[in-house]
Amino acid sequence: MSADHTRDPCPIVILNDFGGAFAMGVIGGCVWHGIKGFRNSPYGERFPGAISAIKARVPVVGGNFGVWGGLFSTYDCAVKAVRKREDPLNAIIAGFFTGGSLAIRGGWRHTRNSAITCACLLGVFEGVGMMFQRYMAWQNKPMAPPLPEQQAPLSA
Amino acid sequence: MSWLFGSKKEETHTESGAVSSGIDPKLGFDPSQISSVSQIISAPGGLDTSRLHPLAGLEKGVEFMDLEDEELTHMEGAQGLIPSRGWTDDLCYGTGAVYLLGLGLGGSYGFFEGLQNIPANAPGRLRLNTVLNHITKRGPFLGNNAGVLALTYNLFDSALDAFRGKHDIYNSVVAGALAGALFKSSRGLKPMGYASVLMAGAAAAWTGVKGVLLGQ
Repeated sequence: MSADHTRDPCPIVILNDFGGAFAMGVIGGCVWHGIKGFRNSPYGERFPGAISAIKARVPVVGGNFGVWGGLFSTYDCAVKAVRKREDPLNAIIAGFFTGGSLAIRGGWRHTRNSAITCACLLGVFEGVGMMFQRYMAWQNKPMAPPLPEQQAPLSA
Repeated sequence: MSWLFGSKKEETHTESGAVSSGIDPKLGFDPSQISSVSQIISAPGGLDTSRLHPLAGLEKGVEFMDLEDEELTHMEGAQGLIPSRGWTDDLCYGTGAVYLLGLGLGGSYGFFEGLQNIPANAPGRLRLNTVLNHITKRGPFLGNNAGVLALTYNLFDSALDAFRGKHDIYNSVVAGALAGALFKSSRGLKPMGYASVLMAGAAAAWTGVKGVLLGQ
């Protein structure tokens, strides 16, 4: 996978990923907990229920997303700096460390399982991304221009 | 995150910095100075055969945000501390910075609170857990709320920028007031007013600090 020019250079991109993941979590959490609070409230209390569910839960969802994204970006940058190359293995290693770090208070087994799960998840993401990239390249492959119709030789 | 919030670029960048110096950045020379072909060839940097080689310019590496899709913002007064390509960059960087600041401040407050609340002659593991519990209680709480506030502020700020076509301190202050009011909007009018005034003051202070740092 070649360098992605739409992203900023490494140390500062951590901040961008933190904010982007946080924003994604907040916006997605508003939809999720809005619907959940609406459905779980009695009739007549549905809109206040949705609002209070959003108020209570959405900052937490945003924070969880933000910490995950920021930690992943930090490890991604660290792995890039150590390996000096950019390929799908970077994301998998960074995912391994991210999953492990987030579960580190749950004990050794929990940390190990979470790290492996997270690495597998990132591996699937990278695989799907590469498949998609191959497919796009195959769709836009260079084509030979169609030859003009061969003119029939003039008969004598 | 441009893949997430794909935004339309407005074609309003007629007055970028390169035009004022008279040199077109794409051509490498000033077109108004040219009258004949020999002048083009002899102009410094005009036609350099080494630049025509397919592998020319590789030693420069990939330059930071030099692609046409990724141009920096040209809005008047919107040049901040770090280069920004538009409202998505402002949103991500602003939210991320404020979130991390809140997390750090809350975490250090929780750290000292935890140090004070360690039970007498507890074993080491219990001490560590007490401190960690206090950090994780205070840090994320402050960080989450600060992050949501910053997110709302940045959304309002960018919306006002786009609406007015320029960025200045009034935009920031009004965006801060609106964000504070929205944050406390379910608590009644009085808390709304307090939060609004506080956020407007914080936005004004931040604009002042940014002006000092940018040397304006």
